[in-house]
Amino acid sequence: MNIVETVGLTRTFGDFVANDGIDLRVAQGEIKAIVGENGAGKSTLMNMLYGLLTPTSGSIRVRGTECTFGSPADAIKAGLGMVHQHFKLVPSLSVWENVVLGIEKRVQTRAGRLPFIDARGQIGEVQAASDRYGMQLDVTATVGDLSIGLKQRVEILKMLYRDVEILILDEPTAVLTPQEVDGLIVTLNELKAQGKTIIVITHKLSEVMQLSDSVTVIKRGHVVADLRTAQTNERELAQLMVGRDVVLTLHRDERDCSGNDVAYQVRGLSTTDEHGKQVLSDIDLDVRRGEVLGIAGVEGNGQSELLKVLTGLMTATHAATTLEGRDLTNAMPTAIREAGVGIIHEDRYQHGLCRELTISENVIAGYHERPDVCRHGLLRPHEIAGKRDRLIEEYDVRVADPDGVVSQLSGGNAQKVIIAREFDAAPKLLIASQPTRGVDVGSIEFIHRKILQLRDAGTAVLLISSELSEIMTLSDRIVVMYKGRIIGEIDDVAHASTTAIGLLMAGIPQTEEVAR
Amino acid sequence: MKRRARRGSSLFGLGIANSLIPVVSAFVIGAIIIAVVGENPWTTYQFMLGQTLFDASGFVKTLHYATPLILTGLAIAVTFKANIFNMGVEGQVLSGAFAAGVVGFTLKGLPAPVHITVCLLVAIAVGMLVALVPAVLKAYFGVNEIVVTLMLNYAIVEILRVLAQTVFRDPTSGYVSTPSVAPSATFTRLFGTSLTLFTPLALVVFVAMYVLFKRSRLGYEITAMGINPGFAEASGMDVRRKIMTIMLISGALSGLAGAGFMLSEKFKYTLDFSGNPGLGWDGMLVALLGGHDPVGIVVAAVLYAALKTGADSISIFSDVPKEITGVIQGLIILLLSIRYFTRTSVVARRRAPTRKSSEEPVRAAQS
Repeated sequence: MNIVETVGLTRTFGDFVANDGIDLRVAQGEIKAIVGENGAGKSTLMNMLYGLLTPTSGSIRVRGTECTFGSPADAIKAGLGMVHQHFKLVPSLSVWENVVLGIEKRVQTRAGRLPFIDARGQIGEVQAASDRYGMQLDVTATVGDLSIGLKQRVEILKMLYRDVEILILDEPTAVLTPQEVDGLIVTLNELKAQGKTIIVITHKLSEVMQLSDSVTVIKRGHVVADLRTAQTNERELAQLMVGRDVVLTLHRDERDCSGNDVAYQVRGLSTTDEHGKQVLSDIDLDVRRGEVLGIAGVEGNGQSELLKVLTGLMTATHAATTLEGRDLTNAMPTAIREAGVGIIHEDRYQHGLCRELTISENVIAGYHERPDVCRHGLLRPHEIAGKRDRLIEEYDVRVADPDGVVSQLSGGNAQKVIIAREFDAAPKLLIASQPTRGVDVGSIEFIHRKILQLRDAGTAVLLISSELSEIMTLSDRIVVMYKGRIIGEIDDVAHASTTAIGLLMAGIPQTEEVAR
Repeated sequence: MKRRARRGSSLFGLGIANSLIPVVSAFVIGAIIIAVVGENPWTTYQFMLGQTLFDASGFVKTLHYATPLILTGLAIAVTFKANIFNMGVEGQVLSGAFAAGVVGFTLKGLPAPVHITVCLLVAIAVGMLVALVPAVLKAYFGVNEIVVTLMLNYAIVEILRVLAQTVFRDPTSGYVSTPSVAPSATFTRLFGTSLTLFTPLALVVFVAMYVLFKRSRLGYEITAMGINPGFAEASGMDVRRKIMTIMLISGALSGLAGAGFMLSEKFKYTLDFSGNPGLGWDGMLVALLGGHDPVGIVVAAVLYAALKTGADSISIFSDVPKEITGVIQGLIILLLSIRYFTRTSVVARRRAPTRKSSEEPVRAAQS
């Protein structure tokens, strides 16, 4: 029996059809994966199911009855819960407060209910729920202090606590370690065994294969395939998604760069956050010319802070940083760029781009003082437009309106604007953090290829990513960060196992592993 | 995908709508009030705007009064665009005017061009100096510039009052006032109209500011800072230095506005020099009405000056109390505070549908 069904579901934005007559059938108690490139219309579909968008035409049926959802509250009432890729949490509240927000229970006495929230009772309940699903959360911790990975668990817990029957997860594994992904799969299977239905939106085809029972592929607003997972494979899915063969494993020239000069050197980098908490301790890094040094680790183990310190957005309490012999310790962002550092920030729309500015204005950001675009303090609109058009061409940015703002671009194309801007300056060092997060398969391939091209041209690359496969594909050498320290290093990436790195990511040093 | 309009044109239209709706609505409500008083709104408005906008000598007069407002409007806009709020334009105007007045009546025997130039430069320097205080506090100590600039206004008004009552008092005057500036320090009226060289000077400043806003690196950085400070910082814009620069420009424009008004209209500092509510405050309205766009500011300043000078024609030619202009001004301010269409609402509508509508609040949760 289909617990959720959509019939001819269509949603248009102006004359752009985001979803065109989608027929989706989700059976009771199955794990359904919905895959598709960025911009294919997955999120539009999910937002309609969750009451965030109203369909232009078509209908949604839950357990056979037609439903109209005016808001997420309606959807939750109907038993549909969503875990967003981007979190909807109140940072200043604690974990349990976030979980019970909206459905708080009040203190019950014999005389009736008091106007106070039953904190003790609910802390217990939420903690129990967390433990039941192996979330390992301290429910009294403040959400703002949690790492991104933990915040996501709070999101999942929030829905589980609401006893939803159908759980929609939007890119749930984007921030988890391999071990945690395994844990999540166990959890999802457990939920499935209890009769819950799970819909997972994801880019990661390996996970689709691992966890789902059936898979629906969406392309340009249409359902292009509806398959049993057991009867398909990653290659076929990828092909269906993008309509062409995708090179899932990039060919990479193996070459020894251990003899190259060290271009970028970081010594003894330590710093504290604004609360005085030690977030980075004694980090040493050496990146050689033509080498990709990957920094692996579960998100929230200091990578964000490391990026900020290295790019001049945060100061280090102790450090010595040099690029090609030039001292860059606690330098300003301008000086760092001037020294030849290209930067891909982890938060694309916070630091990398300005959504409301035009593509032209974005492609010069950070380089807008250079003589090719600016002379005597005046910008050169003609040259800037020329640069923009050249970069759009060279980096295959799919853009509807070259004069338009960046917010028109899909995630992958927005990222390509950043890549184009930073790579065009021919950096001596590239610091890239999560360069392919939330980017479609086609763009991932493109971005990876560009990074390797840069490396082959002799640029030193520092790659920070929580995506282990990305680190393994691109890096010549890997260091693993755990709790603000470098916990291990892997020199022979070709022969390293995911398990070994996974253990390091979980904070178990390899020496210990060997000793056992 | 081809449906998307260009940002420039549509956001421009948006700005116009956001300014036009309040103005038109204010006039409509004003008309109702006039009708209730028992007068004909149409003829009243004809007197009011006909004399100030559609009559040659009237328009010249309007332009004369619009001149300082153009400068104060620009002074406000340059900071607001960067999301810095210089609420102290009024104080900077007054100090600039006072300084120009003092230089104007103390220095003697200078040729007029030199004397005027000296007055203006001193006023600009004083305006910048006053703006420097909140700028340094904001940039280097993180002190909220809104509070500092706002409070500084009151301090400056009192200081100038004391100075005008004691050291620089004109003993021959029956009320608190400084001596008039020397003839060599006054802008001469052009062709017998009320217009002086101050107006073309302000227009030159306007052109410079237009270039700064639209074409310069600084303008680009100001826009980026105003929209997304995180992005601006990550792109290597030295936010501290920009705050200093922006505040100093604002102070300079304010000082110039005050000095020009002094040397072309008032000639001496009195306690009601800046009028009510004051050139700085009016400039805030003008900047808001003009959508923080240089061209919009000029249009808004002219309209606003027409409204103010129109009050006199009303009292001369009709029985409507001239306070009606005050009512209309008040209504414009009130209605302007409602944003009818926001940039984000337009951008959101144009956004790729796949982008989650939820991203905005989410970012706040992550930080």
